[in-house]
Amino acid sequence: MKHDVWLVFAGGGIGAVVREALMLSVQTVGGFPFSIFFANVIAAFLIGLATGLVTRGSLGASGNLFFSTGVMGGMSTFSTFMHGTDQLLLESVDFTALIYLVISMIVGLILALGGIKLGSGRKAAN
Amino acid sequence: MIEVLATIILVFLGGGIGSSLRWGVGKAVGKRYHGSFPWGNFAVNITGSFLIGFLATLFLIDWDNRYGTFMIALVITGLLGGYTTFSSYELDTAKLIGKKKTGIAATYWIGSVVAGLIAALAGIFLAGVIR
Repeated sequence: MKHDVWLVFAGGGIGAVVREALMLSVQTVGGFPFSIFFANVIAAFLIGLATGLVTRGSLGASGNLFFSTGVMGGMSTFSTFMHGTDQLLLESVDFTALIYLVISMIVGLILALGGIKLGSGRKAAN
Repeated sequence: MIEVLATIILVFLGGGIGSSLRWGVGKAVGKRYHGSFPWGNFAVNITGSFLIGFLATLFLIDWDNRYGTFMIALVITGLLGGYTTFSSYELDTAKLIGKKKTGIAATYWIGSVVAGLIAALAGIFLAGVIR
């Protein structure tokens, strides 16, 4: 219990550094922020996977706190996602803004759902 | 090399502090509210969106130098990036769908981005006004 905050702190720090590395290495094409997109949807899949593993009993509470609340929470970002979309709207790159917004929402949700199913070992039809 | 190392340390510290704050808000909200709507992550994501619009507008314009890039690494990329979360936003939505609470799921899923976009815009405009 006492160590919980340090699990979140260390995980969040690591996740944020991974996101920074993606931001430095993945190019923005046509205004579309691929680095943030990839960081967000990959983290959405992995947090779903971790949640599935918890329900199956393969991942404990501390491990999940470190990995999901920490690393995946730190790697993904909602603020940059919103600010990036607003920037594109303000620069009148409306179509890219809309695609970025909607594709992030849909792909992230599908990958989170898929991660849960894969992690918990349940078949797609339930 | 020193600058790359400094940036990594600042992003790490910011990400760690921001994630701890998010976790703290989640715990505080969880103690008081026991309903289905994920108010903790909603509150975190919307306040974080307002702050990024506000601070990025001030930072990028006023602190466009080496000190500024370190502040961006610590506050924007680290702190606010760690504080807000996209993965939990999608996970919350997926869990609500799994519990067949489709109405709450849709409200949270769409409401978060609508409120987040408005909050970030409000931050951008407020920073422009007070500058």
